[in-house]
Amino acid sequence: MIEFHELTKTYGPIHAVEGLSFRVAPGEVYALLGPNGAGKTTALRCLATLLSPTTGAVYVDGADVRERPLEVRSKIGFLAASMGLYERLTPVELLFYFGRLQGLEGPELERRVSDLVEVFGIAAFRDQRCGTLSTGQGQRVSVARAVVHDPPALVLDEPTMGLDVLSGQVIYRFIEGERERGKAILFSTHHMTEVELLADHVGVLSEGRLVAEGTPPTLLEMTGERNLTRAFLALVSDRS
Amino acid sequence: MRMAWVVFRKELRETLRDRRTLLMMVVVPVLLYPVLLVATEQLALVGLRQLEAESATVGIAGSGSVDILSFLEGREGLTVLDVLDPVDAIRADSVQAVVVLGPRPIAGATQSATVLYDAADERSRGARNVLTDALRAWERDLLAERLAERGLPLSFATPLVLADSSVARAEELGGYTLGRFLPMLLILMTLLGTFYPAIDLAAGEKERGTLETLLTAPVPAWQIVVGKFLAVALIGVVAAALNLASMLLTFQTGLFQFGGTLDIEFALPFGALLIIFVTLIPLSLLFASLFLGIAVRSRSFKEAQTALTPLYLAVMMPALLPAFPGIDFTVALAAVPVAGVGLFFRELMAGSPPVTPAIVAVVTTALWAAAALAFASASFGREEVLFGDGDARVRASGSLLQRLRGMAGPSGDTPRVGQAVGLIAVVGALFFYVGFPLQARLGESGLFLSEWLLLFLPVLALIWWARLNVGVTLSLRRPRLRHVFAALLVIAGAAPVGWFLAWAQGFVLPVPWELLEGLDELITADSPSRLLWLLVLFALTPAICEEVVFRGVLLAGTRGRASMLRVATLNAVVFGAFHISFESAFRFLPTAWLGFLLAWVVMSTGSIWVGMLMHFANNGSIVLIASVPALRAWFETAGDAPPWILLPPAVLSIFLGLRLLAPLRASAEAPDARLEQPQESG
Repeated sequence: MIEFHELTKTYGPIHAVEGLSFRVAPGEVYALLGPNGAGKTTALRCLATLLSPTTGAVYVDGADVRERPLEVRSKIGFLAASMGLYERLTPVELLFYFGRLQGLEGPELERRVSDLVEVFGIAAFRDQRCGTLSTGQGQRVSVARAVVHDPPALVLDEPTMGLDVLSGQVIYRFIEGERERGKAILFSTHHMTEVELLADHVGVLSEGRLVAEGTPPTLLEMTGERNLTRAFLALVSDRS
Repeated sequence: MRMAWVVFRKELRETLRDRRTLLMMVVVPVLLYPVLLVATEQLALVGLRQLEAESATVGIAGSGSVDILSFLEGREGLTVLDVLDPVDAIRADSVQAVVVLGPRPIAGATQSATVLYDAADERSRGARNVLTDALRAWERDLLAERLAERGLPLSFATPLVLADSSVARAEELGGYTLGRFLPMLLILMTLLGTFYPAIDLAAGEKERGTLETLLTAPVPAWQIVVGKFLAVALIGVVAAALNLASMLLTFQTGLFQFGGTLDIEFALPFGALLIIFVTLIPLSLLFASLFLGIAVRSRSFKEAQTALTPLYLAVMMPALLPAFPGIDFTVALAAVPVAGVGLFFRELMAGSPPVTPAIVAVVTTALWAAAALAFASASFGREEVLFGDGDARVRASGSLLQRLRGMAGPSGDTPRVGQAVGLIAVVGALFFYVGFPLQARLGESGLFLSEWLLLFLPVLALIWWARLNVGVTLSLRRPRLRHVFAALLVIAGAAPVGWFLAWAQGFVLPVPWELLEGLDELITADSPSRLLWLLVLFALTPAICEEVVFRGVLLAGTRGRASMLRVATLNAVVFGAFHISFESAFRFLPTAWLGFLLAWVVMSTGSIWVGMLMHFANNGSIVLIASVPALRAWFETAGDAPPWILLPPAVLSIFLGLRLLAPLRASAEAPDARLEQPQESG
C-alpha cells in the first residue's frame, strides 16, 4: 500500500533523508523511530506530497507522489506534527470542511462526521471553537479530521504528542480498529510503549538513513537488548 | 472551481469571526469613523469660536499718527498697549501682534504701518487679522473724511468694485471637494480591509500549522488560492463600501457643519456610487492577491506585517495622486496601478470622467490583479515557501560568513529572481544615497568610484554570497566573430534611432537644455590625454560596471522565466529607470532603447562581452562626437531635429544585425551550450 523506494531529500548540502526504502502493507502498522532531526517528518511530508523527493520515489497504492499527487492525497489521511486546527471553527465545522475538500457531501458526509464525533468522543465539545479546546481534545479532533474521508492509508506524525494517558488511549484504540479494517498505518513516534502496543514493524532512522528494520522482537534479537528503548539507543548510538 | 467555493465559504466564515477584521471592517467605518469626524470638527469649531470671542492684546510702536492710537483704543475686541521692542513683546507673549507706525506724515500724505505677528502662533495670527481689519476701517474713515472735505463722493476713490462668484452648484462643489480626498481614503480603506485578512489567511495559517494540513487535501493549490483570494477581496470591497456609505451619510445627516457654512453639498449621484463600488472590486482583487502572495512567504503573522509594510507605503504614494492639483486623468496615468483608479474616482465625483482613461484604469487594474493572482498561486504551491526553514541546519552551523552565505538559500548556477531584483534595489539605493553625493563632491572621480564601488563590487559580493556560477551568471562566453560583427551593426543603427526617440520625446517631455549644455561641456575633450580619460570614464567604465549588473545578474535572474521579448523589455525598463534622476527624466526612453537591444543581443549570443562592446561603442561615440571638431561641426549643422536620411540605414543596420544573431539564439539558450567555448567561424 505504502512504498518508499530509495527516497532521498536534500536541502543544499544537508541530506535530510538518504536512500530510504520500506513498505507498509494493508492491515499493517509501521512505526518510524528516530531521534530529533533524523528525517522522520521529512519522509512523511514527502509521502504526503508536501515535499518533492530529490531522488527516489514514494508510492501509495501504486500512485507516485510526484506524478499523481491529488490521487495520493485522497488515499491518505495525514496528521501533521502540529495540530493544525482552525481556531475560529468548531470541531464539527472543521470536519465538514475537510470532508467537502475530500469530495464528500450530503448524507454521506453527515453520517461520517456523526460517526467520528462518536468514535473520538467529540460530542461534549462539538460546538466549542477549536481555539478553546484542551490539547487532548484538539488532538482527537485532529485525528478525526485526518480520517474524515476514510482513506486506505494513514500517515500520523507523532499522533500522541503531548497527550495524557486517557486521550492517548482513544488514539490507540482507533489505530487498532483501523488495522483490523485493513488500513496501512505509518506513524512516527518517540514513545516505545506505543511501538510495543501497536507496531507490527519498526524502522529506525538516524541521520536520514534507515539503520534497522523489522518486527519488535527482531530488533531486540538484533541488538541483544531486553527492551525496545535500550535496543533503540544501541542502534542510534552505533551510528553516532 | 467547486473546491475554491468550499475554501471561500470557510475563509469568509472564519474571517468574520475574527475581531481584528470586524474592527477594521465594521466598527471603524460605522461607529468610530463618523464619531471621530464629527468630534474633530466640533473641537475645531469650538476652538475657532473661542479664539473669535477672545479680546486681542496688541501693541503699538513708532511715532505715527496719534489718530490711529485713539481709533484702535476705541475699537471693540482690542486691548492696546504701548511697546518699545515689538519682537520681544510678541515673543514674551505680552502682546499678540504689534503695529509699527512709520514717521508721522504731513497733512494729506500717506501713513506707513507694518503689522508684526508670530505666524507659528494661532492666537497671534488671529490678532493680526483683527488688527488689520481695524487699520483698514481707520483707512476707510480717513478716506471718507478727506473726500468729503473736497466735496467728492466715496465712489470717487473706488472706480471698480470687484466680486467673483462660482457658477458651480453646491453638489458640484461637493463632488469636487470629495474628489480631492475621498479616492485616497477609499483606496486606503480597501487596502486596510484586505491587509489583515490576507496576512491571517496566508502567514497566519502557516504559523498555526493549518496550511500543511490544508495542502494534503486533494485540491489543486490554485483553487485554494482562488478561494482565499475571493474571501479577502470581498472583505476589502465591503470594508471600502461601508466606509464610503458611512462617510456620505455623516455628511448628509447635517452632523458635519463645515459644508453648510461653505454652501457645499456632499452628495454623490447613485450612478457614480455604483461605478465606484464596481471599480473597487478589481482594486480589491489586486490588493488581495498581492498581499496573499507576499504574506504566504512569511513564517508568521508578525513577519508578514513587516514584509507588507513597505508595499503598503508604496501603494499610498499613487493613492495620493488625486489630491495633487494639476494631475490630469490621462491614459498613461490610468494604466498605473492604484493611481488610475484613484484618478478615475476623482473625475467621477467631480462630474463626467473621460471614457477612454476610465476603461483603461478598470481594465489594467483587472490585468494587474490577474498577474498578482498568478504570483500568489505560484507561491502557494512551492515547498521552499511552505517549509522555508528546511535548511535550518545549514544556516545554524558554521562561521559568521558561512551563516551569512547560508541565508542566501539553496545555491544554483544563476541568481533567483528575488536575488537579482534585490541587487538592483541595493545598487539603486547605494547610487542614490552614496553615489550622487560622491559625484557632487568629487566630480569625475566620484562618478568613477561610484561605478566600480557601487555597481561592480556589489555584483561580486552577490556572486560570492549566493555561491553563483560566475561564468553562467555573467554570461562570460567568448563571442564568435559573427557575434561581434552583428553587435556592431545593431549598435551602429541603434544610436541614430535613439537620437530620433530622444527628439520625438521632446514633444512630450521638455528637454532641459541647460543640463545638456553642462553635460556637453563635461564630455568634450581638449587634448588627447583628456579624451583618453573621458573614454575610460564615460565609455569603458559603464560598459563593464553597468553591464555586469543589468546584462549580467538581472538578465541571469530573469531569462528563461518569460519570453525573450518580455525579459528584454523588463531589462530595458529597469535600465532606463536607473538612469533617471530628478532632472533627467528625458534620458529614460533612449536609455531604455539601448538597454533593450543590449539585453536582446546578450541573450542571443550568450556573451556579455558583445554587450560591453556595444555599450562602449555607444558611449564612446558620444564622447568622440563632442570632442572631434569635424564630427561636432557636422552634428551642430544638423539642428535640433535629427536628419531623416539617417533613419532608413539605421533601421536596416539593426535589422541585419538581428538577422545575423537569429540562428544563434537557439544554441545560446541550450543548457549544455551555456559555457561552451565555440570554435571561431571560418
